[in-house]
Amino acid sequence: MPGKTPLLEINDLHAGIDGNEILKGINLIIGPGEIHAIMGRNGSGKTTAANVIMGHPDFDVEKGDVILEGESLLEMEPWERARKGVFLSFQYPQAVPGLQVGNFLRKSVASIRGEDEAKGPNFREKLANAMEALDIPRSFMARYVNDGFSGGEKKRFEILQMMLLSPRLAILDETDSGLDIDGIRTVSEGINAAIRGTDSGALIITHYSRILEHVQPDRVHVLLGGRIVSSGGPELATKLEERGYEWLKEE
Amino acid sequence: MDSASRYISLGKPNRADHLWRYTSWKKVHPTGDIAEMPPLGQPELSLGMMDGSEPPSGIRLEQGIEGDLDFSMDNALTNAFLHASAKSSQWTLVVDKGFAPGKPIILEIRPGDSPSVAHISLDIGEISEIELVTKITGRSEWFGLLRTGQIRNGAIMNDVVLGLQEKGTLLRSDAIAIGRDAQVRAGTVSSGSERTKADLRYIMGDPGGNIRVLGSILSADSMHLDHHIEIHHEAPETFSRLSWHSACGGSSRTIGTGMLTIRKGSKGADAAQIFHNLLLSESAKADSIPELEVMENDVVGCGHGTANGPIDEDQMFYLKARGFDEDSAKSSLIAAFLNSTLSEMGGTELHEWLVSELSLKLEALDT
Repeated sequence: MPGKTPLLEINDLHAGIDGNEILKGINLIIGPGEIHAIMGRNGSGKTTAANVIMGHPDFDVEKGDVILEGESLLEMEPWERARKGVFLSFQYPQAVPGLQVGNFLRKSVASIRGEDEAKGPNFREKLANAMEALDIPRSFMARYVNDGFSGGEKKRFEILQMMLLSPRLAILDETDSGLDIDGIRTVSEGINAAIRGTDSGALIITHYSRILEHVQPDRVHVLLGGRIVSSGGPELATKLEERGYEWLKEE
Repeated sequence: MDSASRYISLGKPNRADHLWRYTSWKKVHPTGDIAEMPPLGQPELSLGMMDGSEPPSGIRLEQGIEGDLDFSMDNALTNAFLHASAKSSQWTLVVDKGFAPGKPIILEIRPGDSPSVAHISLDIGEISEIELVTKITGRSEWFGLLRTGQIRNGAIMNDVVLGLQEKGTLLRSDAIAIGRDAQVRAGTVSSGSERTKADLRYIMGDPGGNIRVLGSILSADSMHLDHHIEIHHEAPETFSRLSWHSACGGSSRTIGTGMLTIRKGSKGADAAQIFHNLLLSESAKADSIPELEVMENDVVGCGHGTANGPIDEDQMFYLKARGFDEDSAKSSLIAAFLNSTLSEMGGTELHEWLVSELSLKLEALDT
C-alpha cells in the first residue's frame, strides 16, 4: 500500500497481565477497506490482542505500539479509542441489568457519533434497518443490555452495535462462537454490510474457517504462543481447518 | 391511654434491639431530647396528576382519621410519637371501591422550612386499581410521616414513596394491612435527607395477599439512610418478595434490615428477601441483615440473601468500549443498578417519571 496510511499498524507489541507476557512481539498492518483474520488455538493470545487494542486496564503493554490512522492508541482511554473508531465485539459481552437496550444504544451512538446521530428519523431508520437485517425483534429495545440474552442474541446485539456505530476498525472476537449456521450467515452479512465497500477495516478473531466462508478475509494470520507465525490469503484458513496447527510448529 | 402518654410510658428504646441497632431514637428525634414532645408544624399536602391537573373523582384527601392504631408491635414507640405529634395533621386518603384512573396520581408533601409531621391513613377501596406516588420535597430540618391503613380486598396498588428532601432528617413509619387477594407493589425511592429512619411494615392477614416491596436507595456525601422492612404472612396463600437496592457513595452509610414472618397456619405462603448494595467509594458503608421467622411447615418457600460489592470493572470496560467516559459509565451503572428495582415499582409511565426524578438527583449528588 505505498503512499496509503495504514488503518491499523501494530509494531512489535509485547503485552501481558500480572507480569506474564502473553503477546511476544506482534506485527500487523491492516489497510483501509481490508478484512484480516487471526486464528489460533486457545491461549495463543488472540483475545489478549483484542483487549490490548481496546485498552483493557488489566493488560500492560511492555513494548511496541498500536497505531490507528497514524495516531498511537496506547495512551488513550478505552472510550477515547472508541470515539476514534475502534470497536470491539466482545467474546463474552457483559450483562448490565437495569440498563435498557434502547437507552444504551442512544448513549453509545451519541458518545461516538455525536448527539445528532443518536436522535431523529435517521437514527430510527438506521436502527430499524439494522435490526431487520439481523433478525432482531423490536421488543429487544425494552430489555436490559445482554441480561438473559441467549448466546446468539448476544452476538447479534454486538453486530447491531457495530452497524450503528460504523467504526473505522472493528475487532470481532469469536463473534461466530455460539452461533448456529443461520446465525453465522446473518452476522456475516452484518459484518459485510458494515465493512465491505467502505474504507473501514476489520480484524476477525476465530477458531473456525466457517465464518470466513461468508466474510472473505484479505489476509489470514496464525497466532501461536503470542507471535504471528504464519500469514497468508484465505486459503490458509482452509488449510488450518484441514490440518490443524501442528504442521506450523514443525515448520 | 392517649398516644402522648403511651410514648412517654415506653421510655428510652434499647440500642441492643434489632430496630435501634444502627440508628438510635435520639438521633432521629426532632430535638434529640427524647423526653420532649416538641410542637411540630403541618406540611402542605396536595393530590394531582403528573401533568399538574386535578385528579379525577374517586380519590380524595379527607381531614382526620378514624379508628385506633395498633400499638402491639415494637414500632409502638415511633408510631405513638408520630401519632401524638400529628394530632392536627391527620389525613385519610380515600380511594373509592372500583376506582381505576389509569394514570399515576401524585400525593405531594411539602414540609416547608420548619419541622413538621403528618399522619396519613390509606383507605384503598376494594377492587380499585391505582398507582400512587407520595413525593416528599423541601428543606425542612425534620419531617415525620406516619402511614397506616389498609389496602382492601382485591385492590391492585402500586404505592411508591419518593424521598427527595434536600436536607434534614426523615422519620417514616408505615403499618399497612393488605386485604384478601390484594396485589401491592410498595416502592421506596430515597435519595434525599441527610438522615432517614424508616420502619416499613406490611401485614397480610387475609388469604391471597401479594406484595412486592422494592427499594431504590441512593446515598452520597455523609448521608445515613436506615430502612427496616417487615412483611408478616398471617394467612394462607400469601406471597411476598422484598428486593432492596442501595447504592452508597461518599462517606455515606445505608442500612437495610428485613424481617419476614410466617405465622402458624399460613399454609402455602411464599416469601423471599434480598438486599443488594453497590459500594461506590472506599469509605461508604452498607449493612444488610435479612431475618426470617417461620412458624409454618407447609410453605412454598422462604429465602433470604444479601450481596455487597463495588462497581463491576468488566461492566465499566464494556461501557467505555462503547464510548462512555469514566463519569458517564459510572453514573449509568449506578442508575442501572437502582433501575432494576425502580422498573418493578409501576407501569411504563410511572417508571419513566421515576427515572427522570432519580436522574436529576444522581446528577446533583457527588457519589
